[in-house]
Amino acid sequence: MARTMIRRLGFGVIAVLGVAVLSFLLEFVIPGDPARAIAPRAQSAAVLRNITIQLHLNRPLIIQFLDYFGQLFRGNLGTSYVQRQSVTSLIGPRLATTGELALAGVIAEVILGGGLGIVAALYPRVRAAVSAVNLTLLALPQFVVGLLLLLIFGFKLHLAPVTGGAGPAEIVLPALTLGLVGAPWYAQIVADQMGDSLASAYVRTAVAKGLPDRYILWRHVLRNVLSPAITMIGMDLGAYLSGVVTVEVVFGWPGIGLLAVDSLQDLDRPVVMGTVIVGAVAVVFFNLVADVLRMYVDPRTREEQA
Amino acid sequence: MSAAAPPAAAGPALRVTGLTVAYGGLPAVDNVSLQVRHGQVVVLIGETSSGKSSLALAVARLLPAAAAVGGLVEIAGTDLAALGAKQARRQRASLVGYIAQDAMAALNPVLPVGRQLAEMFTVHAGVSRAAAAERAVGELARVRIDRPRQVARAYPHQLSGGMRQRVMIAMAMALSPPLLIADEPTTALDVSTQAEILALVGGLQAETGAGVLWITHDMGVVAELADWVAVMYAGRLVEQGPVQEVFDHPLHPYTEGLLRTRRDLRAGRPGEPLYQIAGSPPGLTARQGGCGFAPRCSRRTGVCDTTAPDLRPAEAAAGSSGGPSPRSDTAGRLAACHHPLSDDSAKTAVTV
Repeated sequence: MARTMIRRLGFGVIAVLGVAVLSFLLEFVIPGDPARAIAPRAQSAAVLRNITIQLHLNRPLIIQFLDYFGQLFRGNLGTSYVQRQSVTSLIGPRLATTGELALAGVIAEVILGGGLGIVAALYPRVRAAVSAVNLTLLALPQFVVGLLLLLIFGFKLHLAPVTGGAGPAEIVLPALTLGLVGAPWYAQIVADQMGDSLASAYVRTAVAKGLPDRYILWRHVLRNVLSPAITMIGMDLGAYLSGVVTVEVVFGWPGIGLLAVDSLQDLDRPVVMGTVIVGAVAVVFFNLVADVLRMYVDPRTREEQA
Repeated sequence: MSAAAPPAAAGPALRVTGLTVAYGGLPAVDNVSLQVRHGQVVVLIGETSSGKSSLALAVARLLPAAAAVGGLVEIAGTDLAALGAKQARRQRASLVGYIAQDAMAALNPVLPVGRQLAEMFTVHAGVSRAAAAERAVGELARVRIDRPRQVARAYPHQLSGGMRQRVMIAMAMALSPPLLIADEPTTALDVSTQAEILALVGGLQAETGAGVLWITHDMGVVAELADWVAVMYAGRLVEQGPVQEVFDHPLHPYTEGLLRTRRDLRAGRPGEPLYQIAGSPPGLTARQGGCGFAPRCSRRTGVCDTTAPDLRPAEAAAGSSGGPSPRSDTAGRLAACHHPLSDDSAKTAVTV
């Protein structure tokens, strides 16, 4: 098991590096001059030239590349072109803010999706209705759901703030948006797994053993649904931490996604790189955590990979 | 350890009367009556789709809601269907133990087998988890599992097929029910493990005095284990009787065919074609009036196509029986055939 984990970790490091290299190269494909972005009104060519030299943008690509990755291996993500402070200090608080939203969003989608899935599996009569709800939610883009919620609960009912920012009141609508958009995936996987489990021979055995229905549901059925749900939670947490751009933009949630968008517009390359790398690390990390948890709840996965 | 069988006054371990199981109006089990006495092993033999598994599931009340069940099933005098859902649930495991065909699928993959066994005692006997775990270890030892303490902590996929089936048997027998139903539990096992399981169940059954209804398609199992054999074909019982009687003097042409295939398998010489019963059993939708076996039967006449034969006592079926058999237990010897084999025509019968 430990060996599996170490191997996964190795793959994770390779994945993060791959993503970093790719996005580094992509930065240079994006048209535009960072110096001009920093000093849009500085007409003087000398000023622009100065900025370019200061940022080492005049050096050959390979030197810039080696320079950046040399610093990266020392844990240094560089300094923002625009804000003139270290990328780490910029990303840190943003990561925490996005973390709150990611966690709240995952909780919302697990509750909504899990609930829908369980209801669909237990009550065949409402299965069609649940499918319709799933399909509707799947068809709605994230920003539409977000704007609808904002319109209804913010502007019409005045139940939620509309001014943006991070706080306990502000988190409700963006989290609900993530929850609604993510719910159908959970509903589907929970309904499928539960359906299989309810029809399984081991549940028939449990019935033959005279165990109460509720006991069978909790001890025998839901334990078997846990494993795929955990995988999905891990994937979602990683993905959301790498930036829920749409939701953060719609709600003005000052997270890492908003930071990424802003710095991309400013051609603030170190910050863009920082958000990409942090996001990649988050994805790798939470998938790893999900794998470990899965081994805990499903003994079959312990040996499979050994 | 041996639990005394309930008093005979409670009735036989199992009495099935006029049992019918239908899926979407199509009968898979058609008016079957059967009895298992305490301490008796009744083997129900039949081909795939003969309805034998539906019968087993109906007796254990494990059929899906979509199946329409008619008739009466009494286990040690108790009709589970007549009880309320809660009462039925509470009593079922102390009345009937069910051993499934595929133990790998029938055990929960994410729970240690010891816990799956122990929950019988926490739920039904209301004992603490620790005490239940201890009893589970005892039950594993009872089905002759070495190092039961270690096995109790194992998950199903970590055990061999034979071990898993032993766990199933331990679970079925945990509350010492008067009736065990075994639905082809040895089918997925290799021959030597099969023999071990047969011996184990035989031993435990003798020890506890439980009645056993064993479902199989394997005549070898019948010879090994059965006191009494019931032959099922296309949803109906076509013949039943003491195993030696049936082997020596099969009355139904289908039974005779089964015995001939077995004899050929055991004694046939290489290169010689094995005997086969021509044709294949009818599916659920292909059954019409008349005898279900008629299309494959060499003794078929006009009446076979129009009238389904009833199960009748041996004398009436076979005419005059040729003297008392060694066991002379012809009571309950039944066959459903318009033209049963009489003794002289049953020369092909097999001795076991």
